[in-house]
Amino acid sequence: MSTAETKAQTVKERAGYALNNEFLRNAVKFTTERLRLGKKLASEEHGNWDAWRERGRQIRLHTIAHLDYYLNEFAEQARANGAHVHFAETAEEAVAISLQIAEHKSAKSVVKSKSMVSEELHLNKALDSIGVEAVETDLGEYIIQLADETPSHIIIPAIHKNRYQIAELLSAEAGEALPPDTAIMAGFVRMKLREKFLEADIGMTGCNFAIAETGSMVLFENEGNARMVTTVPKTQITLMGMERIIPSWSDLEVMATLLPRSATGQKLTVYMSGISGPKRELDADGPDEMHIIIIDNGRSLQLGDPEFQELLNCIRCGACLNACPVYRHIGGHAYGGTYSGPIGAVLTPALNKNVAEWDDIANASSLCGACYEACPVKIPLHDMLVSLRRRKIEAGRGDKLEAMGMKGFSAVMGNAKRYRSVVSLGKWGQKLVVRGGEIRTRIGPLKGWNSYRVTPSLPKHSFRDRWPEMEQDIRRTSGTMDPVIADRLRERLRMQKSGKGENAHD
Amino acid sequence: MTNETDRGWLTRLEEQSRRKQEQFMDGIAAKLGRDRIRSAPEHPFRGAPDFWNEFNWPLEEKITQFTANFEAAGGHVVRLSHREEVTRFIRDKAMEMSAATILRQQEDALDRLGLEESLPDALVLSWNEAADTDWRAVAARADFGVVMADYAAAYTGSITVKSAPHKGRSVSLLPTVLMAIIPIDRMVTRLGEILVQFDQAGREQLPAGIHFISGPSRSADIENDLTIGVHGPGIVYALLVDSYET
Repeated sequence: MSTAETKAQTVKERAGYALNNEFLRNAVKFTTERLRLGKKLASEEHGNWDAWRERGRQIRLHTIAHLDYYLNEFAEQARANGAHVHFAETAEEAVAISLQIAEHKSAKSVVKSKSMVSEELHLNKALDSIGVEAVETDLGEYIIQLADETPSHIIIPAIHKNRYQIAELLSAEAGEALPPDTAIMAGFVRMKLREKFLEADIGMTGCNFAIAETGSMVLFENEGNARMVTTVPKTQITLMGMERIIPSWSDLEVMATLLPRSATGQKLTVYMSGISGPKRELDADGPDEMHIIIIDNGRSLQLGDPEFQELLNCIRCGACLNACPVYRHIGGHAYGGTYSGPIGAVLTPALNKNVAEWDDIANASSLCGACYEACPVKIPLHDMLVSLRRRKIEAGRGDKLEAMGMKGFSAVMGNAKRYRSVVSLGKWGQKLVVRGGEIRTRIGPLKGWNSYRVTPSLPKHSFRDRWPEMEQDIRRTSGTMDPVIADRLRERLRMQKSGKGENAHD
Repeated sequence: MTNETDRGWLTRLEEQSRRKQEQFMDGIAAKLGRDRIRSAPEHPFRGAPDFWNEFNWPLEEKITQFTANFEAAGGHVVRLSHREEVTRFIRDKAMEMSAATILRQQEDALDRLGLEESLPDALVLSWNEAADTDWRAVAARADFGVVMADYAAAYTGSITVKSAPHKGRSVSLLPTVLMAIIPIDRMVTRLGEILVQFDQAGREQLPAGIHFISGPSRSADIENDLTIGVHGPGIVYALLVDSYET
């Protein structure tokens, strides 16, 4: 985290930076559009998409509801496969175990495939601090590691870099000028990282899914670097969020149907690998020693929380980022945490136990629900964002000015007479502040509202003013009502009056 | 800690891990507001929806769909009628591309191709045929990797390979070109038909590595521009064989 955008303290400042960066804005828009369209086509072609989403949701709900059983089973089966399993409650513990393994192996270098958990832990810096070189091997991750930045999209981490910037970074690494040509640049990375894979002491991966019944871990990828990392080095470390579990290989079919289609629109990623323990005794490749570090780091705080437990169902596909109108404008860095987009806006404060304090990223959403529609396991992210805002207010950390505005609004709207007098007052009063039909002034009762929005000026004739005239108009122009409908309405009215109607409580 | 043996260190780590494991599981159960669950719960939603499990294509449709999917992902598909045609195809490609080193899995079905005799000018090696060789390094230098597919799934256009002492994970990963031979009776419609077999086999029967391969290695990380062959093979041939007689 060294670039200008991360120095900004609030989501508003970081978004401001992003909105002023035209390349970033266009790149994010283009990429998210490509991925979103890919998902749309792939899910439509597959068919019965909602039935699959529902099945995915049920499998995740079931697993999380019985997480103690399945996680325990996974650990036992993984040990039976010959893997060493570790548990870490905090990021610090996970880092300490990783460093201990690296020190014990006298490791000089670690090759890594993409892992969001590793980003959570800031593991590269920790490895560097004990003199171990950590090399990111996913092409996008390698690029942002050279730039000393963080991923801005969960699937396309270097979404914010253009080919000229990338050529500059790679040229510095190559010691010669490389042209900004994708094939040539990718060719250089292939050659450079081949050496790294072959000389590395440790391979480190994340984990898309862990199969409880057989102690296997599953990785989805397109480049082949996760296979490299799990095949070539002598020691392998897998970082795994404690909620990554699914019960069986049969359940994997559902996840394999939902994840690639939702992430990139592919029917399956180029590689899907199921790794069950270290190499068998007579095998000639695969790691001699395999460590699986199971990490909590705030995840278990969601268990038993009726509003947030479903966060643990997330399969990290990124579809909510691509669907989100806010993410598409401000990009990933504006969210200021490891995870961006709608999932990040909820997950970051949830994992950090400080739902109430965490910045203001819950406000970086229009609550339109596109994230929920896109989610392959139907996590109600928009509801969670509302819950987050509510908890913030309840903890007394709301915006005082906005709260005052809301209070005034309720006082005025709660009483018809008061509303009428306020509107007629406003019609005269606004003459002082209206410019071009809009009110942008941030004074008095409008300050909290107008800091982020523009209030339209009050019309000369309000809807209320015009209603008697409009009612006459409607009566004159509309034809007679269908007698069947009229009967039904009369019946409903009669029921309401006698207090038996379904809506009588109003 | 410097004097501690590797085994001693691992034993200590395991004791620590087992203690922590109990705390972890107790903590989860407490947060969920119930006692620990110690036997497998009823899982009413296991696997794909029922309507899906009845879905099957006839053989020719499987081949058509596999071909379309694999080609859409940037792979090549060739249909051959018998083993001799496979030998001929690989030989011609090796000569056309001037392949100097060909690494194949060590199994009877591939012995019978007779690639060694067909390509006298190339170095044809079998995985793990000699104990004192660094086979990973050999694979990294090889031009062709030749494998038998254990299964293939038509719906996703995927080849499945399982590791074994004589079947290296590196052979389908490190060479520049991958040749995967698929006897057509190993082709199924859905991914689930393959996955369920691992459930049925059970943990003890699983190899260390099970890999599904659905085309050449790819990335769109530079400006969304598709690049082929980033880390794995950039050229992948699926050779569908009507009667291979393995």
